[in-house]
Amino acid sequence: MYTRGPVLVMELPETLNHLEAASFFKELQPILKDDRPWVVLDCSSMKSMDSAGVEMLLQCLHEAMKRNGDVKLAAVGSACAVLFELMRVDRLFEIFDTAEAAVRSFQIFAPAASVQTQPWYSAAHGLTDLKVAS
Amino acid sequence: MARAAIVVIDAWRDAPGISDSFLPGPLECVELAGRSLLERWLERFAAVEVEATTILVSAANQYRLPAMRANHGVVTIEVVRDLDISLKATIASYAHDGIQHAFISWASDYVETDLLDLLCFHRESKQGVTPTYNGDGPLSLWAVDCEKARQSSVGKLLDARHTAKSRYFVREYVNRVTLPERLRTLGADILSRRCETAPAGMQVRPGVWLDAGAKVHRRTRIVAPAYIGCGSCIEADALITRLSTVDRNCRVQSGTVIEDSSILENTSVGICLDVCHSVASGNKLLNLKRGVVVEISDPRILWCTGPASENASASVPHGTHMWRVAGDEQTAVGNN
Repeated sequence: MYTRGPVLVMELPETLNHLEAASFFKELQPILKDDRPWVVLDCSSMKSMDSAGVEMLLQCLHEAMKRNGDVKLAAVGSACAVLFELMRVDRLFEIFDTAEAAVRSFQIFAPAASVQTQPWYSAAHGLTDLKVAS
Repeated sequence: MARAAIVVIDAWRDAPGISDSFLPGPLECVELAGRSLLERWLERFAAVEVEATTILVSAANQYRLPAMRANHGVVTIEVVRDLDISLKATIASYAHDGIQHAFISWASDYVETDLLDLLCFHRESKQGVTPTYNGDGPLSLWAVDCEKARQSSVGKLLDARHTAKSRYFVREYVNRVTLPERLRTLGADILSRRCETAPAGMQVRPGVWLDAGAKVHRRTRIVAPAYIGCGSCIEADALITRLSTVDRNCRVQSGTVIEDSSILENTSVGICLDVCHSVASGNKLLNLKRGVVVEISDPRILWCTGPASENASASVPHGTHMWRVAGDEQTAVGNN
């Protein structure tokens, strides 16, 4: 486990079964209870997982989203990618080739950078076009 | 004019490792849209009234032969250790029985040519062996003059594909099913009627084939063309779409989508899954897009519903079947 700025990067174990998933979640839980947790789960060493592992990942995502955070996945191998697709989980996570790219993605889309300064009905938000259309 | 056929289930070929590990048996014996390649070959031979068919199966592999749906006449199954010796012995016995011509085919090359036309071509060419080929190269289908072939070595016989004076060109549908990927292509071709052979079972509405004992929940959506095999069960809110086949004794649980995939026999697929561009067999899934086989040990996702290995003789109920192990003195199993 290491941090890059506000982002926490954690490596998933080689096998993510029921037991491993429980102990991993126990380790991650305090971090997920922080305000706006940004977590990258590095899957580079993960060789196999089962539905308990997938459930744990969904639970992590759920916990992170409750506190306006996010969980992103990095370096997902082919076998795990197939399993994610099979279980329809791939569309719920942002998946990156490397942990570095996943960390960068948090910084590029940091909420501070995209604070809405103009009112929603201003020209910048397309209200003019809307008026023309109507 | 007496004629016969020899179908070879070839474990001697350079077997691609993926099919060995992924499928329960050789590709030729895997049921697809209700029938295996082997049975489709037997049907084709029965249609041109061959008097006897011999299936030569490798003794090296222990697997279950597919169940046959119909009687394909006199079929002898021989489990052999040496293909050359067995092939020569079979041709010799055909010649002895007064059979003039025989077809030899490797079951893995699925060829839909007019066999009678091939036989006429062979007779006119007056050669011992007539090999076949198509645009992609030589095919593992020969027409043989039994008397002439008996006198030459089997090696020479099979090499005739390169040396024969005249070869027969196949214009019709051909699929060299040497990899599970090709099995999926064949499944899609059968459903979209790009080939002559049709799915088994009854067409309950245009493009949707249901086989005996298949159960489909009324809230299931089946988008044609699709095939649901014998005794398979498709539960509520499942979606079967884009040329998908679900073969015998499979179960697709609620909310699961099967898209552009083949679910091979005795496979159960769990709840709310997306099986796309894949071939599933037991607890293994071959993803064609990524080219990987994933073995899933979680019975909530994918599992094998049937016995992995059975006595081979038990599943071949029709016709005259004799099991002989070449080299062994005693007959292994008799089922006449």
